[in-house]
Amino acid sequence: MGPEDTITRRRALLAGGGTVAFGGAVAFFASRSGSDAQAYVPDTVRPSEETTGFGVDLAGRPIAGESDAPVDIYYWTDYLCPFCKKFETETLPTIGREYVDAGVARLLTMSYPNIGHYSTPAAVWSRCVWDHVAGTEPAAFWRWHGAAFAAQSESGQEWANDETFTSVTERTEGVSVADVDACRRNRGDTIRESIRTDVATAQSARIQGTPGFVLYNRESEAAGRIVGAQPSDNFADALDRVRDA
Amino acid sequence: MTETDSSAPRAWFGDLRDALIYPLTSNGRLLITGVATGLTYVLLVLSAFPQFSVQVLARNPADLAYAVPALTREVYLGSGWLGICLVAAYALLTGVAVTNAVALVRRARRAGASTLVGIVPGMLAAGCASCGAGVLGALGFAGAMAALPFEGNLLRIGGIALLVIFLGRAGDPRTCSIDPT
Repeated sequence: MGPEDTITRRRALLAGGGTVAFGGAVAFFASRSGSDAQAYVPDTVRPSEETTGFGVDLAGRPIAGESDAPVDIYYWTDYLCPFCKKFETETLPTIGREYVDAGVARLLTMSYPNIGHYSTPAAVWSRCVWDHVAGTEPAAFWRWHGAAFAAQSESGQEWANDETFTSVTERTEGVSVADVDACRRNRGDTIRESIRTDVATAQSARIQGTPGFVLYNRESEAAGRIVGAQPSDNFADALDRVRDA
Repeated sequence: MTETDSSAPRAWFGDLRDALIYPLTSNGRLLITGVATGLTYVLLVLSAFPQFSVQVLARNPADLAYAVPALTREVYLGSGWLGICLVAAYALLTGVAVTNAVALVRRARRAGASTLVGIVPGMLAAGCASCGAGVLGALGFAGAMAALPFEGNLLRIGGIALLVIFLGRAGDPRTCSIDPT
């Protein structure tokens, strides 16, 4: 064993310092919270009963944007998904203003419960809120939707329960907890079946996690898939390509 | 002289200590450990959502600087401090294991083959255990992490334990361990 094979103080310090720096960088990125931007509330919300060219029945599914927008954005989400919250707060406000509000795209919200035990009940809450407000004040759904993501906790999934979603619903102007509860009791099975259809559609589009998107040109039927909370530039590029396809 | 049963755990801990400090014995080994640790960490966090990682990096490889912090945050929010610490610990242990495996291969020792056979299954098992919902989702098991105890952290702990066991079994790659008879 030569002198090269000995443990020197310098190397020990270097290894210790490197380990501390590595741990510090991981802790920094883990604890760095995202944007505190206001939740996106679209300018135009028009419910629809149509079945789209992509084969999705829009009845009962939350929609944003003009009904004649050339591109459909199918957006699969889960209220327990931190990456969906990142999309909602960092990407959606930009894409919403520049594409949905501008009449270029229509945002169709689909359920893909996959994170925790309360993922499906949360999706049922969402559908019932939409069911309750779609005909009268559909923008209230988007206020509720933003508030539900804002309720996500920094750690664990214990925050996701009936109490939290009741509280979110109570705080959302234009939404009645009693009506939403009645929907959950009376239409829960039907809605869960509809959610299973959403998941099956996502899987057939090879979406493997949330948030997941299919961008669909309604005229040319060109489609593209985008997954995860990608930067708004990536999302805009993909939308432009599908719109021009 | 024969060793008693009670000395076996002590010998194993000694071997584990030797395996863990081996990278400190040269600048080159320390560098290999650092690079392997970094690469392992990047691969593990990217595997938390492989479909996203592939799309982002295919569009612009420089977006690695966006994907790694974003997925680090995602792993933390999904499985807490314990989850992200386990991923970091696994990356560090893999850095050590890779350095030791390189030494074993270079020296082409007779015991090398069997020791490598001991390390590799542990690394693979721990690696798979340390990934996340993304890989399970890619395999068609969406929601599987929700069904695992402690958001999959128990599986991660099990994987890391396997890696530690196999590192302890291999010991310092410069020495042969001969069972007393």
